[in-house]
Amino acid sequence: MYAQAFFVAVFGLAAIGFGVVVFRTSSMVRSALALLFSQTAVGCMFLAMQTEFLGVLQIMMMATEMSIMAIFMVMFMMDPGGLGGMDMSHQKRFSIGAGVSAAVVAIAVALLSDWGPAAEQVADAEAQTRELGMELLGRSMMIFETAGITILTAMIAATAVAIPVKNLASKDDKEASE
Amino acid sequence: MTIAIVLLALFGSAWLLAVIEGWITTGRLSPAAPLYSGLAHLGRESILPRSPDRVFFEAAPVLLLVVAVLGMAVLPLAPDLVIADLGTGGLFINAALAYVLVAVIMAGWGPDGAYAMIGGWRFLGQLIAYSMLIVMPITAVAMRAESLVNTAIVGSQESLWNIVYQPLGFVLFFIAAMALAFRAPFDLPTAEGELGGGVDAEYTGVRLAVLRLARLTLVVTLASATTVFYLGGWYGPLLPPWAWSLIKTLAVAVSMLLAGRYLPRIREADLMRWCWVLGIPLALVNIIIVGLLILVVP
Amino acid sequence: MTVVLIVALLTGAILFGIGIYGALSQTNLVMIMMGVELMLAGAMVNLVAFWRFLHPEAYSGQMFVLVVMTVMALEMAVGFGVAIARFRAKGSVEMEEAEDLKG
Repeated sequence: MYAQAFFVAVFGLAAIGFGVVVFRTSSMVRSALALLFSQTAVGCMFLAMQTEFLGVLQIMMMATEMSIMAIFMVMFMMDPGGLGGMDMSHQKRFSIGAGVSAAVVAIAVALLSDWGPAAEQVADAEAQTRELGMELLGRSMMIFETAGITILTAMIAATAVAIPVKNLASKDDKEASE
Repeated sequence: MTIAIVLLALFGSAWLLAVIEGWITTGRLSPAAPLYSGLAHLGRESILPRSPDRVFFEAAPVLLLVVAVLGMAVLPLAPDLVIADLGTGGLFINAALAYVLVAVIMAGWGPDGAYAMIGGWRFLGQLIAYSMLIVMPITAVAMRAESLVNTAIVGSQESLWNIVYQPLGFVLFFIAAMALAFRAPFDLPTAEGELGGGVDAEYTGVRLAVLRLARLTLVVTLASATTVFYLGGWYGPLLPPWAWSLIKTLAVAVSMLLAGRYLPRIREADLMRWCWVLGIPLALVNIIIVGLLILVVP
Repeated sequence: MTVVLIVALLTGAILFGIGIYGALSQTNLVMIMMGVELMLAGAMVNLVAFWRFLHPEAYSGQMFVLVVMTVMALEMAVGFGVAIARFRAKGSVEMEEAEDLKG
């Protein structure tokens, strides 16, 4: 019990620490990889809370996601290496206020609510995976399928938005000249 | 104890592999060669490039090594010879191997060199090609075993190895594993001919020694994964279980090296096209065939 | 009531706060997406903690986390699609230069 609290707290602190680094560093690859390690620490928190499948899934998905994030950062930032010392932020005071007040409200709710008795035991990892599979392909199948279709739609939409509009201008020019 | 044995097997196999690699390339069989070249690396100057990202530069080779060892930790050599028989072992190995990409990107970005950086980002493109071909064949394997536990996956192959049950999955996984270990012909991040060594280029001395060791270890881990998922793990006549695991692992690793030796390096665009146009549909077909087999054959 | 639940909820709350700060203060589209990812991570921590300590028998809790992960992936895909289109059209994805989006 206390061991669990200790590990959750350690990984939680790691997640928060790397989360702060994300917005403190000016090197974009560092920023993206700090976010990756923050998410990995969140995955480790899941593991510490005996939610093995989700923890491993989180650790796996974030590695790829945040690496892709890193290359987009390098592509789209004006100063990806962070050697120019540019300030890439605005409305700082307002943002800090909003962030702190949101965190304070959430913390107050967490501390002041009566959460009732906590469950001591959970099923082991194998049984959990099985039950989750039954849930996914049983009661929640509609939601799961919808999520799948949504991913497909987003993939197609994102690709359609991203591919360059080929030869439209030159075609217009040609028509105009004819 | 188990940890020590598994680590010994892992690094012993890596050493054997290095010897065999030297044998293939030079034609001389010298068992002490890896030792000498390792010592030579320790003795050489460790050059630090100008204005590097020190954190990434130092962390990348170590992270690659840690990832390879972590992947090995969930793979069983014998029924009770496994460091951690996780309830989600089949997924965990994916998670561990996903960090190969992170290590390579770190190694590419860290030293502030153009060739290294191109190599690092190239591996990101390579990941988009191969990653689905790692995950989808493992899905089919887990379907047959009805479990993600690696010992159960081996147990499901007692009567018939997966290489016979789902040969398509084996071929796809083998190719994707070679791409993941970035061995030839998929050595795009380190391509000697066009990138001057790529991510390897800026590493010297101790750091290069760790990087080389990590890459060999990664090959052993992937060969061991292939053994566990497709070649029936520890099953085999006469010899004890651990011996069969090691023999199969080494055989797969050597076949990876040999395949790389006789094939030309593939182009990034071609790799991407073949993986997405041919590989992923085949992986889906594999899943469907395995699903039908499970339903039809009792 | 248990210590671990409170620790996890506090972590989630602080991650959410950092995420809001990032999403509001950064000028670059990709950095704003990082803030959103942190907010979603905070939400996921809370969801897993609720599942583990309050309703370990209801697997729709874990299901919800999977949906949040899907949302993260979707946000990345669509966000980068928009970023590429914007970069191609205007040459930057800076928010300060996106006055023309005000309508």
